[in-house]
Amino acid sequence: MDPAEVEFLAEQELVTIIPNFSLDRIYLIGGDLGPFNPGLPVEVPLWLAINLKQRQKCRLIAPEWMDVEKLEQIRDQERKEDTFTPMPSPYYMELTKLLLNYAVDNIPKADEIRTLVKDTWDTRIAKLRLSADSFVRQQEAHARLDNLTLMEINTTGAFLTQALDHMYKLRTNLQPGESAQSQDF
Amino acid sequence: MSEAYVPVEAGFGLEEGYLSLEDILMSQERLPCRAETALPRLAAVLGKAGAEPLGSVPEGTKLEIPLWLAKGLYDNKRRVISVELPKIYKESWRTVFTADANVVDLHKLGPFYYGFGSQLLNFDSPENAEIAQTILQTFIGRFRRIMDSSQNAYNEDTSALVARLDELERVLFRVGQKGLNDFQSWEMGQASQITASSLVQNYRKRKFTDLDS
Repeated sequence: MDPAEVEFLAEQELVTIIPNFSLDRIYLIGGDLGPFNPGLPVEVPLWLAINLKQRQKCRLIAPEWMDVEKLEQIRDQERKEDTFTPMPSPYYMELTKLLLNYAVDNIPKADEIRTLVKDTWDTRIAKLRLSADSFVRQQEAHARLDNLTLMEINTTGAFLTQALDHMYKLRTNLQPGESAQSQDF
Repeated sequence: MSEAYVPVEAGFGLEEGYLSLEDILMSQERLPCRAETALPRLAAVLGKAGAEPLGSVPEGTKLEIPLWLAKGLYDNKRRVISVELPKIYKESWRTVFTADANVVDLHKLGPFYYGFGSQLLNFDSPENAEIAQTILQTFIGRFRRIMDSSQNAYNEDTSALVARLDELERVLFRVGQKGLNDFQSWEMGQASQITASSLVQNYRKRKFTDLDS
């Protein structure tokens, strides 16, 4: 999967905006949106929020978790524990990137948020790499990776599955059972 | 993003991947053997040409034949040839691999260490179990370094990192690098720029050469 495709999926997430125009309910395949009234908060998918924001038709409200204190807590928790902690949103990385790129003026302390999310991401990737290594070293057959987000799986996924594929084949070499017999004509 | 050419993966096991270019190259690697019977008329083919072109290879001659030929000639019952282990799969080198697999330059020794080693298991040597075990342990031992170097070297010259890797490990390294590069370019916002597909670019290149000739 391409990171751009993951981003596309993330754009379905709902965010709250405050529009500055009025429009009746609009009917789309993905569901009905609106009605839009100036000053009244309404939930819309991220792609629409960004589009409206770019045309300066609305003000974005940052998600509840996009807050320096909450993110610090999440980061510390992530550093403390050996397993992956649940993230506030399955698309936290994508949401942060998109919101901070397009609506930086609506989010207080944007720079700090950016750093905090990046820190959390780095901790999680380091953890993922560590657990992948011990998984391979101990030749485990299965593992549980709860609370991983799609973007995280996507960065190491291709590498890891291919490496495990190779390892599996090398391991079947250890048991010259049926496969070796079929070579004998 | 669609690639212009997706290589067929190496079969990598007892069976070779028939369409894999890498496995075809791997099967060219030479294997030390001994002729157990006289091989009539094969002297020229096996590079042992004597005076006459139709000479035979006498019994007990040492040969260096490619893997694909060895696989064809090898037969448990008729014993046409006996296969000896290449030196990197022998006991002494196996100890080196067990001690620290990371220091070995597999590209110089291989470069198809894993694939060729797996193929060796086709010839029922008494050391098969140890060979298979060593290959697996070597892979496990080197895994961490490949993962770390491929996922951390961004915008760097990777030739030094890749130099000591086996062909199979290089493929893995490239996969890891692709993951890293894709993520980094997304993060920097380059992914949202629309670029021409590599298919189209190659197509244009081909057209220019057509015009030249």
